[in-house]
Amino acid sequence: MPMLVDLLGSQIVRTVMLGAALVGAVSGMVGVFAVLRRQSLLSDTISHAALPGVCLGFLLAGERDLTTIMLVALLTAMAAALSVLAIGRLTPLKTDAQLGIVLSVYFAVGVVLLSHIQAQGGGARAGITTFLFGQAAALSAQDLWVLGGVFAVATLFFVVLWKEIKLATFDPIAAAALGLPVRALELGLTVLLALTIVAGIQLVGVVLMVAVLIAPAVAARQWIGNLGAMTILAMGIGGLVGAGGALLSATGRGLATGPIVVLLASAVVLVSILAAPRRGVVWQALSAQLQRWRISGDRVLLAMDRLAAAHHDPDYPSEKGMLDTMLGRPLPGVMRRLEGQGLVRPVVHDPESSPHWVLTPAGRRRAEALRRTGHGPD
Amino acid sequence: MAGSADLHEPGFALHVEDLTVRYGSSIALWDIDLDVPPGRLVAIVGPNGSGKSTLLKSVMGLLRPVAGHIRIFGEPISRARSRVAYVHQRAEVDWDFPATVLEVVTMGLYRRIGWLRPVRKAHRQAALEALAEVGMEAFATRQIGQLSGGQQQRVFIARALIQQADLVLLDEPLAGVDAVSEDIILSLLRSLRDRGKSVVVVHHDLSTVRRRFDWMVLLNRRLIAQGEMRDVYTPANLKAAYGGQMAVFDAADADDPARSGRVGGQV
Amino acid sequence: MLAALFDSIPAMIVLTGVLVGAAAALPGVFLVLRGNAMLTDAISHSIVFGVIMVWLLTRELSGPVQLIGAGLTGVLTVALTEALTRTGLVKTDAAIGLVFSMLFATGILLIGIFARQVHLHADTILLGEIGFVWMRTTPVLGVAVPVSMVMLGVVLVLNLVFVVLFWKELKLATFDPALAAALGLAPAALHYTLLTLTSVTAVAAFDAVGPVLFIAFVIVPPATALLMTRRLALIVPLAAALSTIACVSGYFLAVHWNVAIGGMMATMTGVLFVMVLSMRALKRQLQHRRPVPGNPAPWP
Repeated sequence: MPMLVDLLGSQIVRTVMLGAALVGAVSGMVGVFAVLRRQSLLSDTISHAALPGVCLGFLLAGERDLTTIMLVALLTAMAAALSVLAIGRLTPLKTDAQLGIVLSVYFAVGVVLLSHIQAQGGGARAGITTFLFGQAAALSAQDLWVLGGVFAVATLFFVVLWKEIKLATFDPIAAAALGLPVRALELGLTVLLALTIVAGIQLVGVVLMVAVLIAPAVAARQWIGNLGAMTILAMGIGGLVGAGGALLSATGRGLATGPIVVLLASAVVLVSILAAPRRGVVWQALSAQLQRWRISGDRVLLAMDRLAAAHHDPDYPSEKGMLDTMLGRPLPGVMRRLEGQGLVRPVVHDPESSPHWVLTPAGRRRAEALRRTGHGPD
Repeated sequence: MAGSADLHEPGFALHVEDLTVRYGSSIALWDIDLDVPPGRLVAIVGPNGSGKSTLLKSVMGLLRPVAGHIRIFGEPISRARSRVAYVHQRAEVDWDFPATVLEVVTMGLYRRIGWLRPVRKAHRQAALEALAEVGMEAFATRQIGQLSGGQQQRVFIARALIQQADLVLLDEPLAGVDAVSEDIILSLLRSLRDRGKSVVVVHHDLSTVRRRFDWMVLLNRRLIAQGEMRDVYTPANLKAAYGGQMAVFDAADADDPARSGRVGGQV
Repeated sequence: MLAALFDSIPAMIVLTGVLVGAAAALPGVFLVLRGNAMLTDAISHSIVFGVIMVWLLTRELSGPVQLIGAGLTGVLTVALTEALTRTGLVKTDAAIGLVFSMLFATGILLIGIFARQVHLHADTILLGEIGFVWMRTTPVLGVAVPVSMVMLGVVLVLNLVFVVLFWKELKLATFDPALAAALGLAPAALHYTLLTLTSVTAVAAFDAVGPVLFIAFVIVPPATALLMTRRLALIVPLAAALSTIACVSGYFLAVHWNVAIGGMMATMTGVLFVMVLSMRALKRQLQHRRPVPGNPAPWP
C-alpha cells in the first residue's frame, strides 16, 4: 500500500495516468459511434495501418517526437480508410476481404519500415517497438498537451454536432432526406476515429487499440439505453480503465501497458454483459425463472383448453413448444403439479417424441369453469 | 431402412401438423396444419411477413420449429432429402461467385454424387439436359453474374429439375422475372405437375394466382385456408388473410408482448 | 543435391515463404469468397494465446502439440465470438474485436511474465523471424530440414487433402449454404473444419511470419487471383503462384534494402494486388470507351 501511495506521489506516474485517462476517455467517446456504426473491424484495420505512419514519422523527426509521429500516422490511417473505400468501389470483393487486405498490407509496410529503423541501431530501436504493444511510461509532460488537444477537438465535435451525428448514425437515409450532409459527417467521424487511434497507440499499441475503442462502448451499452448518457459512461469507463492500466503497468515490472488495459476493459465488458440490469445474462436468466414461477396452473389449463377448442378436439395433445410460446416458459414443475392434481395427463403424440399433454375430464371441467367466470388467470 | 410401418400420412406429398416457428419472441408460424396431395401445382399466398418462406425453410429442415412435425411422402426430411428439391429466393446467394452456369446446375447432384466423389462427364451431361429444358443450354459456360434476373431463376429451376424430385418447393420463382422466363418457368412447373410431381410455389401476386395454380394455401402466420383453388379463392378468405391484424390470442393475454401486438415479424 | 538445397540459406527462407503462401491460400480462397476473411484476423491474433499456453504446459514451441493447440484455440475463438453474439447484446463485428483482443492480450502478458528469459519475445511473436527459420532443424530422411518447413509441409498436405477431397462440397457450401443444408451436406461442419485448418496453418506459419503478416498470405493472394479469373479451380493455383512471386521478389528486395524479409514478402503481396487492380481498372476504362458492337451509342 505505501508503495502505491509513493507511486501516486510520483510526477511521472501522475503524468502517465492522466495521459492514459485522456486516451481512454476519447476512445470511449469515439468508440460508441464506431460500435454503433459497426466499424469495429474498420477500427482494427485503421490502427494496424497506423504502424507505417508511426515509422515514417519517426524517420522524419529523427527521434521520438509524438506530434510528428501522430500527424504522419494520421495520414497513413486515413489513407488506409480511403484504400478500403477504393477497393470496395473498384472490385467485387466483400467488405471482409477489403479490410483484411488493407490491414495486413499496411502493417507489412510498417514492419519493413520498423526493421529499417532498427537496422540503424542506436537509441531509436528501443523507442519504436513500444508502438506495437504500447508503453505508457514513455509518455512525457509535453505529450499530455497533445492528448489533451485531441480530447478537446473530439469533445467539441460531438457537442456542436450532437443531434446531427445522432441522426446520421441511427438512420443515415432519413438524415440525408432532411438535407444533412451525411457524407461530410461520416468523413468527420472517420477522421476523428483515426485521430483517436493514433493518439492511443503510444499507450496501447497498434495491435490492441481496437479493444480500447470498442470495449467501453459495448460495456456502457449494457447499462444505459440513452445515447448521451451511454457516451458519458463509456468515457468514464475508458478513462478509469486507461488510468488503472497505466498504474498497473508502472508497478508491474515494465509489463506492456496495452495488454493490461485491454484485460481490464475486457473484465468490465464481461461484468456488464453478465450483470447489467434488464439486459444482462444473469438478470435475464433470473427474470425468466421468475416468470416460470409466476405461471399459474390455471393459465396452463386455459391455454390447453383454447388449443383443444381451436382444433375441435377435446383430447387435443398440446405440445410443450406451443404451450411455451403461449405462456412464456412453463416450468416442468407446473405440469407435474397439474398432473398430480389429476388435471392433465402426459401422452405420446405419434410420430413426435417431444412431450405432449391432454386435459383430463377434471381438467376440462376446471378450464370450463374458469372460462365461464370470465376471470382470467393472474 | 424405413419400413412402411414407419410412414406417417404417406398419402400426402407434404403433411404438416401443429407447426409452430418462433424467431426469438416473435411468432413466425402458429399451429399450421397442412396437407398437400400429390400431383398438384400449389400456390402459397399471403401478405409480406406471413411466414411463407419460413414454411418452406421448415419443410427443408433449415429451421428448428418449436412444435409440430412435417412429413414428405410419409417420411421426415432427414429420410426424404432425395425426393425433394428446394429453390430458395434468388437474392440469397452471391451472384458474383466464380462459377459457371453449368457448375451451378450440377450442384443439384452433389448429394447423389456423394462425398469424396468427383463430378463426372455424365453429371455434366445431365446438367446440360436440364439447362436445355429451361432454354439456357447456350449459356452453359457463362459466369453466373452475367445473367439477367430471369435467366438466373431459370438456372436455379434447372438445378432443381436435375434432382428429379417428387416434391419441388420454390420460393418466389416469378419475382422480378422477365416475361419470356416467366412463360418458360410456368410451363415447366405445369409439365412437372402433369408428370405427377408435386410443386409448391410461394407466390406474391394475387391477381395471377388463380389462373396459374390449381391448389392454394392461404397463410398469415396462421393457416387461413387450403384446398382446391376454386374453393379457397373467395373474398372472405382473402380478406381474412390480407385484411387487418390476425388475432391468435384473445385480449386476456395482451400483457405479454409475445402474444399481443408484436406477434410475428418480417420473415 | 537435395542436401545442397537445404544447405542454402536463401533457398530455405524463400521456400518457407512459398510454403506459407501455398498453405494459406487453400483455406484463404474460401474465406474470402464466403465474406468472412476477417475471421483470419481474429484467429491468427488469438493463436498467440494458444502458442503460449501450449508452451507453458509442454515447453514445446513446435510440433504436433502446437498444431493441436492451434486447432483448439481457433475453435475457442470462433465459439466465444458466437456465444457473445448469441446473447444478442453485442454485434458480430464488435464481438470478434473483443474476443481476439482479450486472448491476444492474455497471451502477450503471459509471455511477459513467464517467458522473458527464453527466446520468446513479444515482438518476435508478433512479427516472426523468417530470416532465422533455418537455424532450428530436424532430420528428415537423413537431411537436416528446418522445423518450420516440416510443419508447413505437413499442414500444406493436410489442407490440400481437405480441399481436394471436399472440393465440390466446399464450393456449394460457400456459394449456397442453404442448398448445401437442404441437400444434407453439412455446411456448418465444413466451415468449422476450414477455420480449424486456418488456425493450424497460422501456428505452422508462426515462426516465419507471425500472426499479422499471416493474414496477408491468407487474404491478399486469393483476393488478387479472384480479380484475375472467374474460374474457381484456377484461383487456388493462381493464388499460390502470386504468393511465390511475392516471396521471391520480397526476399531479394529485403536483402537489397536490409529490411525485414517477412514484412517485405507480405508487402509484395500487396504490390501485386495493386498492380492487378490497376490493370483491371485500366481495362475497364478502355472497354468503356469502346462502343459495344451492335449497341449504337445513345447519343447522336
